[in-house]
Amino acid sequence: MSTIDTRSPILSARGVRHSFGQTEALRGIDLDVHPGEVLAVMGPSGSGKSTLLHCLAGVLVPTRGSVTYGPSAGRQPVEISALSEPKRARLRLTDFGFVFQFGQLLPELSAVDNVSIPMLLGGTKRSEARRRSADMLDRLGLEGLGAKLPGELSGGQAQRVAVARALVTSPAVLFADEPTGSLDSLGSENVLTIMLELVREFGTTVVMITHDARTAAYADREVIVRDGVIGAGYRVSP
Amino acid sequence: MNRGLLKLAVVGSRSSYGRLTGITGGVAVGVCLLLLLWGGANGLNARDDRGAWLRETGSPSVSIPTTAGDPTASGPATPVPLTAATVLMRANPVEVFRDQLINRRDFAALGSTTVKIPGIASPPAPGEYYASPALQHLIETTPQDQLGDRFGQFVGTIGEAALPGPDSLIVVTGATETELRQSGHAFLVSAFTTNPYGASAAAYSTVLLIGAIAVFFPVLLLISIVTGLGAAQRRERFATLRLIGASPRTISRIAAVETAVPSLIGAVFGVVLAAVLRPATAQITVNGTRMFEADLATGWEAATAVVVLVVTASSLVAAYRTSREGIGPLGVTRAMQERTPNAWRMVPLLAGLAAMITAVLLIRVLEVRVPWLESPLLIGGFALTLVGIVVVGPWLTQLVSRMGLRQARSAAAVIAASRIQRTPVATFRSVSGLVIAVFVVSVFAGASSIIQEAEAPAARPGLLQPASLHATVAAGSSQDQVAEAARRAGQLPGIRSATIGYGPAALNQRDAGPEIFLRAEDAPGLGFEDIPETEIVAVDSSFLHYWTTQPLVLTRAPAQNLDGLVPVVIVVAADGTPEAMDRARTALDGSGVTAIPATSPLDIKLQSSARLVQGLAVLAYLGMFVAIAIAGLSLAVATASAVLDRKRVLGLMRLMGMPVSVLRRIITREAAVPLLTVLLLSIALGFLVAWLMVTGINDTYRVTWPATDYFAALGLSLVLALAAVGSTFSLIRAGTAITATRFE
Amino acid sequence: MNNTLTLLGLLSREPSYGYDLKHSYDRYFGTQKALAFGQVYSTLARMVRDELIRALGEETGGGPDRKKYEVTPSGKARVHQWLFTPDTPSEALQSELFAKTVVALLIDDDADRLLDVQRSEHMARMRELTRLKKDADLLHVLMCDHGLFHIEADLRWIDLTMARLAQLKKELQGA
Repeated sequence: MSTIDTRSPILSARGVRHSFGQTEALRGIDLDVHPGEVLAVMGPSGSGKSTLLHCLAGVLVPTRGSVTYGPSAGRQPVEISALSEPKRARLRLTDFGFVFQFGQLLPELSAVDNVSIPMLLGGTKRSEARRRSADMLDRLGLEGLGAKLPGELSGGQAQRVAVARALVTSPAVLFADEPTGSLDSLGSENVLTIMLELVREFGTTVVMITHDARTAAYADREVIVRDGVIGAGYRVSP
Repeated sequence: MNRGLLKLAVVGSRSSYGRLTGITGGVAVGVCLLLLLWGGANGLNARDDRGAWLRETGSPSVSIPTTAGDPTASGPATPVPLTAATVLMRANPVEVFRDQLINRRDFAALGSTTVKIPGIASPPAPGEYYASPALQHLIETTPQDQLGDRFGQFVGTIGEAALPGPDSLIVVTGATETELRQSGHAFLVSAFTTNPYGASAAAYSTVLLIGAIAVFFPVLLLISIVTGLGAAQRRERFATLRLIGASPRTISRIAAVETAVPSLIGAVFGVVLAAVLRPATAQITVNGTRMFEADLATGWEAATAVVVLVVTASSLVAAYRTSREGIGPLGVTRAMQERTPNAWRMVPLLAGLAAMITAVLLIRVLEVRVPWLESPLLIGGFALTLVGIVVVGPWLTQLVSRMGLRQARSAAAVIAASRIQRTPVATFRSVSGLVIAVFVVSVFAGASSIIQEAEAPAARPGLLQPASLHATVAAGSSQDQVAEAARRAGQLPGIRSATIGYGPAALNQRDAGPEIFLRAEDAPGLGFEDIPETEIVAVDSSFLHYWTTQPLVLTRAPAQNLDGLVPVVIVVAADGTPEAMDRARTALDGSGVTAIPATSPLDIKLQSSARLVQGLAVLAYLGMFVAIAIAGLSLAVATASAVLDRKRVLGLMRLMGMPVSVLRRIITREAAVPLLTVLLLSIALGFLVAWLMVTGINDTYRVTWPATDYFAALGLSLVLALAAVGSTFSLIRAGTAITATRFE
Repeated sequence: MNNTLTLLGLLSREPSYGYDLKHSYDRYFGTQKALAFGQVYSTLARMVRDELIRALGEETGGGPDRKKYEVTPSGKARVHQWLFTPDTPSEALQSELFAKTVVALLIDDDADRLLDVQRSEHMARMRELTRLKKDADLLHVLMCDHGLFHIEADLRWIDLTMARLAQLKKELQGA
């Protein structure tokens, strides 16, 4: 209310609406995300918070309204919602990172290979990718577990591998959809602490969906999505 | 078991109808194919049995007493008299019309003969003939001077019991005893053989069995694939049943029943389908003739046996699979982690090959014929090899993918190689159908390459021209008769020249010389170019043999005239049209001066000695087509389920920005690596097995470069594999769309 | 729970007698402990003194229980201020928040907003506790966690109540 930042937002949604057939999931969303901030998106199931995340990340194109991504001072802001799917896919690969609740690791790949995939997709040499992956796994406290398969890791370890994969390309924005949704309190706390420590160090912006207040408490700010709109009384801008 | 529960389990939901329909349809097609192939194999057998009498060679019509004390010298030949218990028969090896061989048997018999010639009531009188319906039809629709004049007066058709198939061209003509004895090719026959394969009957039945296994295996594979349809979905349903209190035994029983019901419906439908398709199947030409419909009938015993066997086997397998999966109340309890395949998987393949090689070594190197051991070794070895390829596949696939993972550079390569390395059995299963199909195709291509058609010889000076006919002159023909026959032949439309060659005696006589003498002026008509400046030229008599491939040269004959020589051969040069050739054949053969029927160098193309293998090859190519189609289908199904199994994770990868093209490359690699790994092996093994089989039968056969059909079949299977994988591309896009990961 | 403000809130629905006010209170909030008549009358007297309410014309035979009271504009403002001022999350908070919600629904005010405002306060406190946990010793962390879990329980109640507001309103108004 009083702390409106004058710096330009890294992500900016204006009048975003999205429908799946007859169902209107988002009914006019305005939201700014500040560079380096950690934003929690809360809300009841089916409120449209996942759809909002997908629109912000260029996974879905809003039926109406626009989403603009302004990476940094040096680069022109781009209207994500106006890009073609291949271009959005490329942008997601290079500028964004993703962490989901579960089942995002390829079960047949070792931890190191799982983390390497985004780099390989970006054209990095495999040896280089593996070296950087191993470093990132070390940073997440997974020393010596690089050769393990996801099935051989605990839930918390697997989730940290997913975080490593999301952060290894140094994305500008990390999108996390219930990142600790399938973990117990302690596991959840460990993953969040280490994830946020790293994003604050890298200056990564985070948009995190959660229905868990203790998780949301790690964020700098929160908004609630109810019935496709942001709850009254929540700051749509930092 | 509670009937209501069973009903619920079998037709639980609308989606299970699709699975049940799939099983029913697949089993119907499988059973139909099994019965038709069984019928086809039976038909070939029956056909060869009916045609067996044509293999009768009889006993010599002359006896040549050996001179006492000197086994190499022999006394003068004395005719063995014709009695009521024998007939005199001349088997005509090359009665050719257009590009078809006619089986001609000339008979002379006493009126009182007791010998029964198959298919006809009594032996034809001289100048009369019996023909198969197909041949008679041909005679009636062709100008007399091209075909009909060769045989004489039609007196009746040969019964079906003596005809291999409805298209068989067979003629039985009557001749005088003198005529036949004079030809030097007459034999005495007291009874006709019923053994269609002579001495190699055992070997042929071995080939037949191996062929049957090879053709049936892909069909069994189809049945096994369709009964496994929708296994994942079924597992979920069973887990629910377990949760509400069903015991593992109940689950196994439900699995058995729910497979048995659609299998039974499908099998019965397959039997009906086979009966309906039988007339159409009979139209397929195998070895130049279609089949009698009755030959394809398998009888209700066989149909019942197939139905019972398929239904029992499929439901037992379903029950076994279900109990092995260990479905608990919370889903599959036993880890789905595959056990790593190891080198032991090579054992069945090696054992199979060892068995076949042992059999061949016994026959070829040690020259021991132990029939009771040979056949089981060959057949068992073949079956083991077939199973062995399927067993060894995952291990090889894993070895290759392990190397591949080390070398992998791109994301698609890493993902595909890792997947294959962790689940080699599952990934190989999706291509096993194609691999087996290719193996079977290669075996048959290799085996049938031995009866590859000889290339039509090119026209070269110094060799008998392709568009020419020659007939050797029978002993005792007069100069005038021969000259008249040659003159008449020469005047026929389309005939360029008719040349008479001379020698000291008829070519089938003992004092025939090594050379044939010609008038120099006639030599150009035979295609010679370097002609010595003289009246009479000579050429080696190997000139007449079709196997002579080195051009011969004309030499100056020692004598300047033909005095003291007799005509030994008439060579007719035609313009190459089939009508002219057949007119000349008819004229020469009807002239009465020839010892053998007129032959052309092209005739060799029509002669083959491995009829059974060729017949099987036709069936095999049919079976192969089915096998490849099935294999392609199973690959598509397997690839699709490989995508759907990983719907969530692949969907999330796309969400992270992985392009669809990478997903396509992953899926393509997962099919290509196991396929290519084992494809080369199965091709090589196919030809090795073919060589082992063929040399096991007869040491004169050689496996050579296969026919173009083979490469077509191979290409087809690769195209089909591509199409199968390609058909899942749209599924990849749709199945991994963002919506696939929502609401979970 | 602030009885004075709760009674004031109930009174801002419509003018009522002290006797009726006591029964309303008992119906909504007195399931465990009913309010004594004496307490009601002393509270009403205090509020009259503070000019939050005033007595309407006395009726015949009037004693204190025969007096009808109505809320003054300053009383109304006081209720409003009470409703939309979030309380510091504490163990004692719950009954107060409950009272606020019921009152807001009864006087047809924005109960959603009231809960959201409280929610933000809870979240702010949680963020503060979460920050405190960082670099703290384990004993301190455990203390913070204790606080966090209690606030979270309140938050969950808030969320659930928000989801049930429409139904709750119907029930209260129908009664």
